[in-house]
Amino acid sequence: MAEAALTVENLSLDLGPARLVDGVGFSVAPGEVMALVGESGCGKSVTAQAIMRLLPDVIRQSGGRIRLGADDLTALPERAMQTIRGRRLSMIFQEPQAALDPLSTIGAQIAETLRAPLSRVRGEVRRMLEDVGISDPERRIDQHPFELSGGMCQRVMIASALIARPAVLIADEPTTALDVTIQAQILDLLRRLATERRTAVVLITHDMGVVADIADRLAVMYAGRIAETGPTEGIFAAPRHPYTALLLASIPRLSDAPKSLLAVIEGRVPTPAEFGPGCRFASRCPRADAMCRSVTPVLGEVAPGHAIACHHPLGVGEAV
Amino acid sequence: MHTLEISDLKVHFPGRHGAPVRAVDGVSLHVAAGETMGLVGESGCGKTTVANTTVGLLGPSAGSVKVMGTELAGADRRTLRAVRARAQMVFQDPVTSLNPRMTIGDAVGEPLYVRGIASGRALRERVAGLLDEVGLRPEHAGRYPHQFSGGQRQRIVIARALALRPALLVCDEPVSALDVSVRAQILNLLVDLQARHGMSSLFVSHDLAVVRHVCDRVAVMYLGRIAEVAGRDALFASPRHPYTRALLASVPEPDPVVQRAKPRVPLAGEIPSPADPPAGCRFHTRCPMVAEVCRREVPALRAVGESVVACHLA
Repeated sequence: MAEAALTVENLSLDLGPARLVDGVGFSVAPGEVMALVGESGCGKSVTAQAIMRLLPDVIRQSGGRIRLGADDLTALPERAMQTIRGRRLSMIFQEPQAALDPLSTIGAQIAETLRAPLSRVRGEVRRMLEDVGISDPERRIDQHPFELSGGMCQRVMIASALIARPAVLIADEPTTALDVTIQAQILDLLRRLATERRTAVVLITHDMGVVADIADRLAVMYAGRIAETGPTEGIFAAPRHPYTALLLASIPRLSDAPKSLLAVIEGRVPTPAEFGPGCRFASRCPRADAMCRSVTPVLGEVAPGHAIACHHPLGVGEAV
Repeated sequence: MHTLEISDLKVHFPGRHGAPVRAVDGVSLHVAAGETMGLVGESGCGKTTVANTTVGLLGPSAGSVKVMGTELAGADRRTLRAVRARAQMVFQDPVTSLNPRMTIGDAVGEPLYVRGIASGRALRERVAGLLDEVGLRPEHAGRYPHQFSGGQRQRIVIARALALRPALLVCDEPVSALDVSVRAQILNLLVDLQARHGMSSLFVSHDLAVVRHVCDRVAVMYLGRIAEVAGRDALFASPRHPYTRALLASVPEPDPVVQRAKPRVPLAGEIPSPADPPAGCRFHTRCPMVAEVCRREVPALRAVGESVVACHLA
């Protein structure tokens, strides 16, 4: 495998006494789409913020390292980070309209990533707009965000994030606010750009359909830890962690028998204040025993590139 | 008599720049007794406006909405109040659907209390029964909404909607605000309640897999009009309207083998504004099959196979 574009090692994030993210690690290769999946509160978005070094003041990184190529970002001063964001490491967000400056033309905003006035880089910006599928870019370039639909604003965000050819793009729920036909367009676009430009993409999502569509690999997060990680096809075909298996079985599919009973995960995700010793999924897991409630399971490989953190993993093809 | 009968419904709102927003513009559909009807479409298609009109939250600009035979268009307050006992609604966000200062027992019992159906001990017993029915413990009645998770709060909202034993339950995106693992709990509950009470339901959602899971028939809306209505199996197996086909192709299936083998037919363009809908077929600006007639003439709904479709070319 090519050298990783981004490596996160043993990342821990604290909010006061609570450990929100506990020992999370993964890497992404150039041109690869890596999905971080999980439900609200699993720590996927704060992990993204930590990579960008955009954490809210109340959250502190208490351990781990983040490397961009060979460079360690962890120790870098904020001034140096500012030269890295946008150029080598970019991010797009769920609400494109909220992420764009309403008072500035979209051309000027894209040019800002290049730290140049639009007049000097106009041709380059126009080509980028064309590449993200905006029709009539010569007219659009001088328009303001309110003149564009949500789907087009997300294309503009992607253009502005990728114009400086960063090695890594973090996409935080990039299609959650969009309609399903527009979502399909944006996912196709992200997949194509990742492949063509060799951009490593960290895709943060709660939607297993989105993961199945464009991710090469995924990491399933639960309550601040990685429960299972591996290649997309392998995990969907044979999830080994009970949480992953239940999550996949609880989603209605177009191929299921209608009105059939869906698998249910009893209870709810614990809040950080409720985190106890042992496996954080133990309180909801049908396979949990005394060991799960006292000993934290560590990630271990069950197949090449496929690892789980579980004391009682499922066999291949076994149901929970 | 159908539980819900909507004929040529129009709901227009005053627009900021003169032209009215034609949110719903000539919709006809019915929900038979015991049937769950799905209403799907993307933002701005008018599905929520239809739902709000069926429980009397919005008045029709034209056309007719009948719940159990009672006309809502132009109805006086007394009639509306009577109809609302028969048609109850569950909204998307259970957090904003519950009064934070009311115990959940009071919230669930309020419909019975304000209509003078039960009070005192009888009311408490009815509330306990309703909480039990949606999978909550009767001793929770004294707690407040903030003490419950999102999924539990949606159960409370459903219990309140069931209190008057409505003939029609209108659900507007009832699981969209919930986490994936909690969604299944609520969907199982809704399917179970349909089977147990045999009530009719209008189920509004943008999620086709969810609609397929709970509904018997499905209506697809686009820009204020019905594009296609069909039985669930017919609609998903052989969709007739190009928009239905595009919508189905756009749903990402949570299975990489199936999903990646799917033919890619991304729908070009964006949804036009309902204040200025395209002439002729409203879908013609995005339709991959568009012909000359589509730009000129509004297609009428007609039977094709097992579907009723508004398309010149179907």
